[in-house]
Amino acid sequence: MSRNSDNASRTAMLPRGVALHARPAGMFVMEAHRFRSTIFVAANGRQANAKSILEVLSLGATAGTELCLTASGEDADEAVANLARLLDALG
Amino acid sequence: MPRTSLESSYVSLILVSHSYKVAYGIAELVEQVAGMYVPVFPVGGTRDGGLGTDSPRLLEILQRIAREPGGVVIADIGSSVLAVRAAVAELALTQRGSVIFADAPFVEGAIAAAVAASTGASLGEVVRAAEQTRHVTKL
Repeated sequence: MSRNSDNASRTAMLPRGVALHARPAGMFVMEAHRFRSTIFVAANGRQANAKSILEVLSLGATAGTELCLTASGEDADEAVANLARLLDALG
Repeated sequence: MPRTSLESSYVSLILVSHSYKVAYGIAELVEQVAGMYVPVFPVGGTRDGGLGTDSPRLLEILQRIAREPGGVVIADIGSSVLAVRAAVAELALTQRGSVIFADAPFVEGAIAAAVAASTGASLGEVVRAAEQTRHVTKL
């Protein structure tokens, strides 16, 4: 059986002075919405749907937290790459 | 202050509370998370500064946003809900399709709706984002 879906994952560190709260969380979720893939972000032993602002806020990810991004879908690679770049650029 | 420009291609958000502080406080929070692009209209308190709903102002806002791409209304509790239902009923039939009263928690629904709206989502998608927050657990 053939499968069309792709999986991708990547880790990213929240830069110094940046928590995944308020505006940064909003920007992250908005970026996630640009992709068709299902995307999750995990931190502190919790996992959130990257397209849900409430779930992302509930991660409580503070500066220096390592985030694990995973995506599945046709644009999975691009999704995790773009989200990791966005997190880097917040610093 | 929340942005209230009407020349927006983004779905608007109307936040209705008994309290001026609640409506404007949530509007401030929403803007922090979702940015400045989504038009947010807080409606809270009476004209003399008491607790209640300024129904004429609510209706005026609904009439202004009742066109493409439309607006989502979220209310807090009790008579705010009744005030919104009464105001929506006053709209012309042709306007009602562009103003949707979402059955959503006030804070969570407002934030989720604003983030969805800021991605350029349609009226239906923004309503769905707001209403999905009914099922999000906190702990």
